[in-house]
Amino acid sequence: MNWKAILTNRFVVLPLALAIIVGAWNIYIALHDDGLITGEVRDASGAPIPGAAVIFFERNFINYQEKQRVTTDARGAFRFTDMNVHVGQLEARLPDGRNSERRQLQLWFRAQNTLVAPLIIGAAKS
Amino acid sequence: MRRAPTWPRHALMIAVSILMLIPFYWVVKTSLTGENIYAYPPRIIPVNPHLFNYVDVWYLIPFPRYLLNSVIVTAMAICGNLLFNTAAGYALTKNFPGRRWVVLLFLSCMLIPFQATIIPAYLITSWLGVLNTHLAVALPLLSTIICIFIFKASFEAVPKSLIDAARLDGLSEWRIILRIMLPLSKPAIATNIILTFIWSWNAFLWPLIVTRTADMQTLPLGLARFLSVLEDTTGALYAFVVLVLVPGLTIFLMAQKEFIRGLTSGATKG
Repeated sequence: MNWKAILTNRFVVLPLALAIIVGAWNIYIALHDDGLITGEVRDASGAPIPGAAVIFFERNFINYQEKQRVTTDARGAFRFTDMNVHVGQLEARLPDGRNSERRQLQLWFRAQNTLVAPLIIGAAKS
Repeated sequence: MRRAPTWPRHALMIAVSILMLIPFYWVVKTSLTGENIYAYPPRIIPVNPHLFNYVDVWYLIPFPRYLLNSVIVTAMAICGNLLFNTAAGYALTKNFPGRRWVVLLFLSCMLIPFQATIIPAYLITSWLGVLNTHLAVALPLLSTIICIFIFKASFEAVPKSLIDAARLDGLSEWRIILRIMLPLSKPAIATNIILTFIWSWNAFLWPLIVTRTADMQTLPLGLARFLSVLEDTTGALYAFVVLVLVPGLTIFLMAQKEFIRGLTSGATKG
């Protein structure tokens, strides 16, 4: 059997290449799908804000609804776990009513571990 | 003698190719941007393209399930086609009483639109007890008359002396088909595979009738379901269309040489 001819045949090469790409992508997903979404909340000067509520809004077919809420630690960091979603929005809120802009989150696969760019809460309006 | 330059002809062909590719480009562009297709003036170059519409399609509807169903049904249709059409095509190259009538019957059956035979086909499928199964979806495409004639034309092109020599060597009819006919009919096989793939992959009406649950639906039905469930999802809708189109285009591009050769041999030797 002429293995070289078989392995260079386009009917073998293309499906094989596709299978390798799909396999590699699935291995990558399996290693990065713990559902962790992490980030920080900061003020306009870049200082971390502890005690801010960070809310994750999950998309349903019509709008976005709150799914989970966590509080930032002393370093202003937050961490969501077991987030089995691929799209949503993040917003940080302070008890005094100030809040960050809602950040759209689009992930490449469900439950992708993600480090979000800092959510910025502006100064109180006078 | 000075030959006429070929560039005007090539330029014309390139222009026509671009014109024909514009709809495909527009579908791909919309799938990458999600912009309103009715926006005026239309944008030729995509603005902020991204692939998240494809991720949406994958997760918002059971796309992998639809894809699996389409693959299973298409594989069954292709296998059935190769088996039954080969046998029928080979039989029609033989001389037997009533052969002309059989050919005439086949040709006349080609004139009847599929829609006219749907009720009897449904009743037969129901009588067989295979409704809402992959077999039911694949059943009408297990053998197609056009493909039988493609095989017939291809088999008739094989020298009769070769078949006689094989028979003298003690080969049975099935082994003659497998060892002599099929290796010499690769374009016909490729044409069969591609035509069956396209018909099966794009079938809508028959799968709509014989499937009753969402987990048995194929990609075209998934597309209709997607449209009915989601609104204002232009980007995701076009991403779905691209995902439905890509396997067919890939197979066609891989086998286009054999496909065209098979079609032309069927056209000239039938």
